[in-house]
Amino acid sequence: MFLTNVAYASAAGHHAGPLFSIGPLEVTSEITTMWGVMILILLVSFIGTRNMQRIPSGLQNVLEMGIEMYENFWTDILGKKRTRELMPFLATFFILILCSNYSGLLPLAGTLPGLKPPTSNVSTTAGLAIVVFFLVLYYNLKVQGPIGYIKHLIGPMPAIAFLMLPLNIVEQFTRPLSLALRLYGSVYGEEMVVASLAALCPLVLPLTMQVMGILFGAIQAFVFTLLASIYLEEATAVHH
Amino acid sequence: MEIHPSTIIFAIINFAILVVGLKVFLYKPVCNMLDSRREEVINNLNSAEEAKLEAQKLKDEYAAQIQNARAEAQDIINQAAKIGEQTKADIVTEAREEASRLTAKAQAEIAREKTEALNEIRNEIADLAVLAASKVVGKTIDVADHQNMVDNFVKEVGEAK
Repeated sequence: MFLTNVAYASAAGHHAGPLFSIGPLEVTSEITTMWGVMILILLVSFIGTRNMQRIPSGLQNVLEMGIEMYENFWTDILGKKRTRELMPFLATFFILILCSNYSGLLPLAGTLPGLKPPTSNVSTTAGLAIVVFFLVLYYNLKVQGPIGYIKHLIGPMPAIAFLMLPLNIVEQFTRPLSLALRLYGSVYGEEMVVASLAALCPLVLPLTMQVMGILFGAIQAFVFTLLASIYLEEATAVHH
Repeated sequence: MEIHPSTIIFAIINFAILVVGLKVFLYKPVCNMLDSRREEVINNLNSAEEAKLEAQKLKDEYAAQIQNARAEAQDIINQAAKIGEQTKADIVTEAREEASRLTAKAQAEIAREKTEALNEIRNEIADLAVLAASKVVGKTIDVADHQNMVDNFVKEVGEAK
Protein backbone atom coordinates (compact mmCIF):
# COMPACT_ATOMS: atom_id res chain seq x y z
CA MET A 1 0.00 0.00 0.00
CA PHE A 2 2.86 2.26 0.89
CA LEU A 3 4.57 1.49 -2.38
CA THR A 4 1.45 2.26 -4.30
CA ASN A 5 1.12 5.59 -2.60
CA VAL A 6 4.70 6.52 -3.28
CA ALA A 7 4.36 5.44 -6.88
CA TYR A 8 1.26 7.47 -7.23
CA ALA A 9 2.89 10.46 -5.67
CA SER A 10 5.73 10.10 -8.15
CA ALA A 11 3.30 9.70 -11.00
CA ALA A 12 1.55 12.86 -9.97
CA GLY A 13 4.82 14.68 -10.41
CA HIS A 14 5.91 15.25 -6.82
CA HIS A 15 9.63 15.21 -7.20
CA ALA A 16 11.86 14.43 -4.32
CA GLY A 17 13.82 17.59 -5.06
CA PRO A 18 17.55 18.02 -4.53
CA LEU A 19 19.21 15.46 -2.28
CA PHE A 20 22.21 17.59 -1.34
CA SER A 21 24.44 20.33 -2.76
CA ILE A 22 28.02 20.53 -3.97
CA GLY A 23 28.82 24.21 -3.68
CA PRO A 24 26.16 26.07 -5.64
CA LEU A 25 25.14 22.95 -7.56
CA GLU A 26 22.22 20.89 -6.31
CA VAL A 27 22.46 17.14 -6.72
CA THR A 28 19.18 15.46 -7.61
CA SER A 29 18.22 11.78 -7.75
CA GLU A 30 18.76 11.82 -11.49
CA ILE A 31 22.38 12.87 -11.04
CA THR A 32 23.14 10.27 -8.39
CA THR A 33 21.62 7.60 -10.62
CA MET A 34 23.73 8.92 -13.50
CA TRP A 35 26.81 8.59 -11.36
CA GLY A 36 25.87 5.04 -10.53
CA VAL A 37 25.33 4.27 -14.20
CA MET A 38 28.66 5.89 -15.09
CA ILE A 39 30.51 3.93 -12.40
CA LEU A 40 28.94 0.71 -13.69
CA ILE A 41 29.86 1.51 -17.32
CA LEU A 42 33.42 2.46 -16.43
CA LEU A 43 33.82 -0.57 -14.17
CA VAL A 44 32.65 -2.96 -16.89
CA SER A 45 34.94 -1.24 -19.43
CA PHE A 46 37.87 -1.36 -17.03
CA ILE A 47 37.39 -5.04 -16.18
CA GLY A 48 36.79 -5.95 -19.82
CA THR A 49 39.91 -4.21 -21.15
CA ARG A 50 42.19 -4.63 -18.12
CA ASN A 51 44.00 -7.61 -19.51
CA MET A 52 43.51 -7.59 -23.26
CA GLN A 53 44.27 -10.85 -25.01
CA ARG A 54 45.15 -11.45 -28.62
CA ILE A 55 42.45 -14.08 -28.74
CA PRO A 56 39.52 -12.49 -26.93
CA SER A 57 37.17 -14.26 -24.58
CA GLY A 58 34.41 -13.39 -22.17
CA LEU A 59 33.80 -9.73 -21.44
CA GLN A 60 36.61 -8.54 -23.73
CA ASN A 61 34.94 -10.38 -26.58
CA VAL A 62 31.58 -8.76 -25.83
CA LEU A 63 33.12 -5.26 -25.64
CA GLU A 64 35.13 -5.77 -28.82
CA MET A 65 32.05 -7.04 -30.61
CA GLY A 66 30.05 -4.05 -29.42
CA ILE A 67 32.69 -1.50 -30.40
CA GLU A 68 33.18 -3.16 -33.77
CA MET A 69 29.42 -3.10 -34.33
CA TYR A 70 29.27 0.63 -33.46
CA GLU A 71 32.24 1.30 -35.66
CA ASN A 72 30.75 -0.51 -38.64
CA PHE A 73 27.42 1.22 -38.11
CA TRP A 74 28.91 4.72 -38.03
CA THR A 75 31.38 4.02 -40.77
CA ASP A 76 28.37 3.69 -43.06
CA ILE A 77 27.22 7.20 -42.07
CA LEU A 78 30.46 9.05 -41.38
CA GLY A 79 33.19 7.15 -43.20
CA LYS A 80 36.21 5.62 -41.56
CA LYS A 81 38.19 8.71 -40.60
CA ARG A 82 35.38 10.73 -39.03
CA THR A 83 34.08 7.66 -37.21
CA ARG A 84 37.37 7.33 -35.35
CA GLU A 85 37.17 10.97 -34.30
CA LEU A 86 33.48 11.14 -33.40
CA MET A 87 32.87 7.66 -32.09
CA PRO A 88 33.88 8.43 -28.49
CA PHE A 89 31.06 10.99 -28.30
CA LEU A 90 28.48 8.99 -30.23
CA ALA A 91 29.14 5.70 -28.50
CA THR A 92 29.12 7.43 -25.11
CA PHE A 93 25.75 8.99 -25.92
CA PHE A 94 24.36 5.61 -26.81
CA ILE A 95 25.80 3.72 -23.86
CA LEU A 96 24.92 6.43 -21.33
CA ILE A 97 21.37 6.95 -22.60
CA LEU A 98 20.72 3.22 -22.92
CA CYS A 99 21.91 2.47 -19.39
CA SER A 100 20.09 5.56 -18.04
CA ASN A 101 16.86 4.43 -19.68
CA TYR A 102 17.30 0.92 -18.33
CA SER A 103 17.95 2.24 -14.83
CA GLY A 104 14.23 3.00 -14.82
CA LEU A 105 13.60 -0.74 -14.93
CA LEU A 106 15.27 -1.26 -11.57
CA PRO A 107 12.88 -1.95 -8.72
CA LEU A 108 11.77 1.18 -6.84
CA ALA A 109 13.23 3.40 -9.55
CA GLY A 110 11.48 6.75 -9.34
CA THR A 111 10.28 6.14 -5.78
CA LEU A 112 13.51 5.53 -3.93
CA PRO A 113 15.39 8.77 -3.25
CA GLY A 114 18.61 8.81 -5.28
CA LEU A 115 17.33 6.34 -7.87
CA LYS A 116 15.53 7.88 -10.79
CA PRO A 117 16.24 7.34 -14.49
CA PRO A 118 18.36 10.38 -15.50
CA THR A 119 16.71 10.59 -18.90
CA SER A 120 13.25 10.98 -17.34
CA ASN A 121 14.23 14.53 -16.40
CA VAL A 122 14.26 17.21 -19.07
CA SER A 123 17.27 18.91 -17.48
CA THR A 124 19.48 15.86 -18.03
CA THR A 125 18.38 15.33 -21.61
CA ALA A 126 18.79 19.07 -22.18
CA GLY A 127 22.36 18.77 -20.90
CA LEU A 128 23.08 15.99 -23.40
CA ALA A 129 21.38 17.96 -26.19
CA ILE A 130 23.48 21.01 -25.33
CA VAL A 131 26.57 18.85 -25.72
CA VAL A 132 25.33 17.86 -29.18
CA PHE A 133 24.63 21.53 -30.01
CA PHE A 134 28.13 22.63 -29.09
CA LEU A 135 29.76 19.64 -30.79
CA VAL A 136 27.91 20.48 -34.00
CA LEU A 137 28.85 24.15 -33.65
CA TYR A 138 32.48 23.28 -32.93
CA TYR A 139 32.82 20.97 -35.92
CA ASN A 140 30.99 23.37 -38.19
CA LEU A 141 33.45 26.13 -37.29
CA LYS A 142 36.44 23.79 -37.38
CA VAL A 143 35.71 22.11 -40.69
CA GLN A 144 34.00 24.88 -42.67
CA GLY A 145 35.36 27.94 -40.89
CA PRO A 146 33.19 30.84 -39.66
CA ILE A 147 32.58 32.15 -43.19
CA GLY A 148 31.85 28.70 -44.54
CA TYR A 149 29.43 28.11 -41.68
CA ILE A 150 27.58 31.36 -42.41
CA LYS A 151 27.49 30.44 -46.11
CA HIS A 152 26.09 27.08 -45.11
CA LEU A 153 23.40 28.84 -43.06
CA ILE A 154 22.54 31.15 -45.96
CA GLY A 155 22.04 28.15 -48.21
CA PRO A 156 22.87 27.56 -51.86
CA MET A 157 20.53 30.30 -53.21
CA PRO A 158 21.50 33.86 -52.16
CA ALA A 159 18.22 35.19 -53.58
CA ILE A 160 16.19 33.62 -50.80
CA ALA A 161 18.83 34.12 -48.10
CA PHE A 162 16.50 36.41 -46.18
CA LEU A 163 14.21 33.42 -45.84
CA MET A 164 16.77 30.64 -45.41
CA LEU A 165 19.11 32.31 -42.92
CA PRO A 166 16.55 32.72 -40.09
CA LEU A 167 15.15 29.26 -40.80
CA ASN A 168 18.56 27.63 -40.69
CA ILE A 169 19.55 29.48 -37.53
CA VAL A 170 16.33 28.44 -35.84
CA GLU A 171 16.95 24.88 -37.01
CA GLN A 172 20.32 24.86 -35.24
CA PHE A 173 18.42 25.41 -31.97
CA THR A 174 15.36 23.32 -32.65
CA ARG A 175 17.45 20.27 -33.33
CA PRO A 176 18.90 19.95 -29.81
CA LEU A 177 15.55 21.04 -28.39
CA SER A 178 13.81 18.20 -30.21
CA LEU A 179 16.55 15.80 -29.13
CA ALA A 180 16.07 16.75 -25.48
CA LEU A 181 12.29 16.73 -25.52
CA ARG A 182 11.95 13.51 -27.51
CA LEU A 183 14.14 11.55 -25.15
CA TYR A 184 12.69 13.12 -22.02
CA GLY A 185 9.10 12.72 -23.19
CA SER A 186 9.54 9.10 -24.12
CA VAL A 187 11.26 8.01 -20.93
CA TYR A 188 9.17 10.20 -18.63
CA GLY A 189 5.97 9.09 -20.31
CA GLU A 190 6.95 5.45 -19.92
CA GLU A 191 7.77 6.05 -16.25
CA MET A 192 4.42 7.70 -15.77
CA VAL A 193 2.57 4.83 -17.38
CA VAL A 194 4.49 2.33 -15.26
CA ALA A 195 3.72 4.33 -12.15
CA SER A 196 0.05 4.61 -13.07
CA LEU A 197 -0.17 0.92 -13.78
CA ALA A 198 1.61 0.23 -10.49
CA ALA A 199 -0.98 2.38 -8.77
CA LEU A 200 -3.73 0.27 -10.31
CA CYS A 201 -2.14 -3.10 -9.55
CA PRO A 202 1.46 -3.13 -8.35
CA LEU A 203 2.05 -6.86 -8.94
CA VAL A 204 2.05 -7.84 -12.62
CA LEU A 205 0.51 -4.96 -14.51
CA PRO A 206 3.55 -2.61 -14.60
CA LEU A 207 5.60 -5.48 -16.00
CA THR A 208 3.88 -5.26 -19.38
CA MET A 209 4.94 -1.65 -19.73
CA GLN A 210 8.41 -2.39 -18.38
CA VAL A 211 8.96 -5.05 -21.04
CA MET A 212 7.99 -2.43 -23.60
CA GLY A 213 10.39 -0.12 -21.78
CA ILE A 214 13.28 -2.42 -22.68
CA LEU A 215 12.41 -1.88 -26.32
CA PHE A 216 11.69 1.85 -26.02
CA GLY A 217 14.86 2.48 -24.02
CA ALA A 218 17.00 0.97 -26.76
CA ILE A 219 15.06 2.72 -29.53
CA GLN A 220 15.30 6.14 -27.88
CA ALA A 221 19.02 5.75 -27.20
CA PHE A 222 19.47 4.71 -30.82
CA VAL A 223 17.38 7.58 -32.19
CA PHE A 224 19.21 10.19 -30.11
CA THR A 225 22.60 8.85 -31.21
CA LEU A 226 21.58 8.44 -34.83
CA LEU A 227 20.28 12.01 -35.06
CA ALA A 228 23.37 13.34 -33.30
CA SER A 229 25.57 11.44 -35.77
CA ILE A 230 23.59 12.82 -38.72
CA TYR A 231 23.95 16.39 -37.40
CA LEU A 232 27.67 15.82 -36.88
CA GLU A 233 27.99 14.27 -40.32
CA GLU A 234 26.46 17.40 -41.80
CA ALA A 235 28.77 19.59 -39.73
CA THR A 236 31.94 17.70 -40.74
CA ALA A 237 31.05 17.13 -44.38
CA VAL A 238 33.74 18.62 -46.61
CA HIS A 239 32.15 20.61 -49.41
CA HIS A 240 34.00 20.65 -52.68
CA MET B 1 8.57 19.91 -16.21
CA GLU B 2 10.97 22.33 -14.67
CA ILE B 3 14.51 23.13 -15.69
CA HIS B 4 17.24 22.63 -13.11
CA PRO B 5 20.34 24.52 -14.24
CA SER B 6 22.52 22.53 -11.84
CA THR B 7 21.21 19.24 -13.26
CA ILE B 8 22.02 20.47 -16.77
CA ILE B 9 25.53 21.40 -15.68
CA PHE B 10 25.98 18.06 -13.91
CA ALA B 11 24.71 16.19 -16.96
CA ILE B 12 27.27 17.96 -19.17
CA ILE B 13 30.10 17.37 -16.68
CA ASN B 14 29.08 13.74 -16.26
CA PHE B 15 29.02 13.24 -19.99
CA ALA B 16 32.46 14.79 -20.37
CA ILE B 17 33.86 12.58 -17.61
CA LEU B 18 32.28 9.52 -19.18
CA VAL B 19 33.68 10.37 -22.61
CA VAL B 20 37.17 10.70 -21.20
CA GLY B 21 36.81 7.60 -19.04
CA LEU B 22 35.47 5.45 -21.85
CA LYS B 23 38.14 6.78 -24.20
CA VAL B 24 40.80 5.58 -21.78
CA PHE B 25 39.20 2.33 -20.65
CA LEU B 26 37.18 1.24 -23.66
CA TYR B 27 37.64 2.88 -27.06
CA LYS B 28 41.39 3.23 -27.09
CA PRO B 29 42.35 -0.29 -25.92
CA VAL B 30 39.61 -1.97 -27.93
CA CYS B 31 40.30 0.02 -31.11
CA ASN B 32 44.03 -0.58 -30.75
CA MET B 33 43.40 -4.26 -30.28
CA LEU B 34 41.05 -4.40 -33.26
CA ASP B 35 43.52 -2.46 -35.40
CA SER B 36 46.49 -4.56 -34.44
CA ARG B 37 44.54 -7.72 -35.00
CA ARG B 38 43.35 -6.47 -38.37
CA GLU B 39 46.91 -5.59 -39.27
CA GLU B 40 48.10 -8.99 -38.16
CA VAL B 41 45.51 -10.73 -40.28
CA ILE B 42 46.41 -8.56 -43.27
CA ASN B 43 50.11 -9.25 -42.72
CA ASN B 44 49.48 -12.96 -42.40
CA LEU B 45 47.44 -13.01 -45.57
CA ASN B 46 50.08 -10.96 -47.39
CA SER B 47 52.94 -13.16 -46.26
CA ALA B 48 50.94 -16.25 -47.18
CA GLU B 49 50.38 -14.77 -50.61
CA GLU B 50 54.07 -13.94 -50.88
CA ALA B 51 55.06 -17.43 -49.82
CA LYS B 52 52.68 -18.85 -52.38
CA LEU B 53 54.19 -16.68 -55.12
CA GLU B 54 57.69 -17.63 -53.98
CA ALA B 55 56.80 -21.31 -54.06
CA GLN B 56 55.28 -20.92 -57.50
CA LYS B 57 58.43 -19.15 -58.68
CA LEU B 58 60.65 -21.89 -57.28
CA LYS B 59 58.46 -24.52 -58.84
CA ASP B 60 58.69 -22.81 -62.22
CA GLU B 61 62.44 -22.47 -61.79
CA TYR B 62 62.84 -26.14 -60.96
CA ALA B 63 60.64 -27.15 -63.85
CA ALA B 64 62.79 -25.03 -66.16
CA GLN B 65 65.94 -26.54 -64.72
CA ILE B 66 64.62 -30.05 -65.17
CA GLN B 67 63.65 -29.20 -68.72
CA ASN B 68 67.14 -27.84 -69.36
CA ALA B 69 68.77 -30.88 -67.80
CA ARG B 70 66.63 -33.17 -69.92
CA ALA B 71 67.52 -31.27 -73.09
CA GLU B 72 71.18 -31.34 -72.14
CA ALA B 73 71.07 -35.06 -71.48
CA GLN B 74 69.40 -35.61 -74.82
CA ASP B 75 72.14 -33.52 -76.46
CA ILE B 76 74.83 -35.55 -74.78
CA ILE B 77 73.21 -38.80 -75.86
CA ASN B 78 72.83 -37.55 -79.41
CA GLN B 79 76.44 -36.42 -79.50
CA ALA B 80 77.66 -39.71 -78.11
CA ALA B 81 75.63 -41.60 -80.68
CA LYS B 82 77.07 -39.42 -83.41
CA ILE B 83 80.60 -39.96 -82.16
CA GLY B 84 79.98 -43.71 -81.94
CA GLU B 85 78.63 -43.73 -85.45
CA GLN B 86 81.66 -41.80 -86.65
CA THR B 87 84.05 -44.09 -84.83
CA LYS B 88 82.35 -47.12 -86.29
CA ALA B 89 82.62 -45.71 -89.78
CA ASP B 90 86.29 -44.87 -89.22
CA ILE B 91 87.08 -48.32 -87.94
CA VAL B 92 85.31 -49.99 -90.84
CA THR B 93 87.08 -47.77 -93.35
CA GLU B 94 90.41 -48.42 -91.74
CA ALA B 95 89.80 -52.14 -91.67
CA ARG B 96 88.82 -52.09 -95.29
CA GLU B 97 91.94 -50.18 -96.20
CA GLU B 98 94.09 -52.53 -94.18
CA ALA B 99 92.51 -55.52 -95.84
CA SER B 100 93.01 -54.16 -99.33
CA ARG B 101 96.55 -53.18 -98.45
CA LEU B 102 97.25 -56.70 -97.19
CA THR B 103 95.65 -58.22 -100.27
CA ALA B 104 97.73 -56.05 -102.55
CA LYS B 105 100.86 -56.94 -100.65
CA ALA B 106 100.06 -60.60 -100.84
CA GLN B 107 99.37 -60.40 -104.56
CA ALA B 108 102.62 -58.57 -105.13
CA GLU B 109 104.42 -61.28 -103.15
CA ILE B 110 102.74 -63.98 -105.16
CA ALA B 111 103.62 -62.28 -108.43
CA ARG B 112 107.21 -61.88 -107.37
CA GLU B 113 107.50 -65.46 -106.27
CA LYS B 114 105.88 -66.62 -109.49
CA THR B 115 108.38 -64.64 -111.57
CA GLU B 116 111.18 -66.02 -109.48
CA ALA B 117 109.98 -69.56 -109.88
CA LEU B 118 109.53 -69.14 -113.61
CA ASN B 119 113.05 -67.79 -113.94
CA GLU B 120 114.38 -70.69 -111.92
CA ILE B 121 112.46 -73.17 -114.00
CA ARG B 122 113.68 -71.52 -117.16
CA ASN B 123 117.29 -71.80 -116.03
CA GLU B 124 116.79 -75.39 -115.01
CA ILE B 125 115.20 -76.21 -118.36
CA ALA B 126 118.06 -74.52 -120.19
CA ASP B 127 120.60 -76.50 -118.26
CA LEU B 128 118.69 -79.67 -118.85
CA ALA B 129 118.35 -78.90 -122.54
CA VAL B 130 122.07 -78.23 -122.88
CA LEU B 131 122.84 -81.38 -121.07
CA ALA B 132 120.46 -83.41 -123.19
CA ALA B 133 121.65 -81.86 -126.38
CA SER B 134 125.27 -82.47 -125.58
CA LYS B 135 124.39 -86.05 -124.85
CA VAL B 136 122.56 -86.41 -128.15
CA VAL B 137 125.07 -84.54 -130.31
CA GLY B 138 127.98 -86.02 -128.46
CA LYS B 139 129.97 -83.03 -128.79
CA THR B 140 130.35 -79.87 -126.99
CA ILE B 141 128.85 -76.98 -128.64
CA ASP B 142 130.47 -73.69 -128.20
CA VAL B 143 129.16 -71.17 -125.96
CA ALA B 144 127.66 -68.95 -128.64
CA ASP B 145 125.72 -71.78 -130.23
CA HIS B 146 124.72 -72.93 -126.93
CA GLN B 147 123.37 -69.64 -126.04
CA ASN B 148 121.47 -69.32 -129.26
CA MET B 149 119.94 -72.68 -128.92
CA VAL B 150 118.88 -72.03 -125.44
CA ASP B 151 117.36 -68.75 -126.36
CA ASN B 152 115.51 -70.25 -129.28
CA PHE B 153 114.27 -73.04 -127.17
CA VAL B 154 113.14 -70.81 -124.52
CA LYS B 155 111.42 -68.68 -127.04
CA GLU B 156 109.70 -71.67 -128.52
CA VAL B 157 108.68 -72.92 -125.18
CA GLY B 158 107.39 -69.50 -124.35
CA GLU B 159 105.45 -69.37 -127.58
CA ALA B 160 104.16 -72.83 -127.18
CA LYS B 161 102.98 -71.96 -123.79
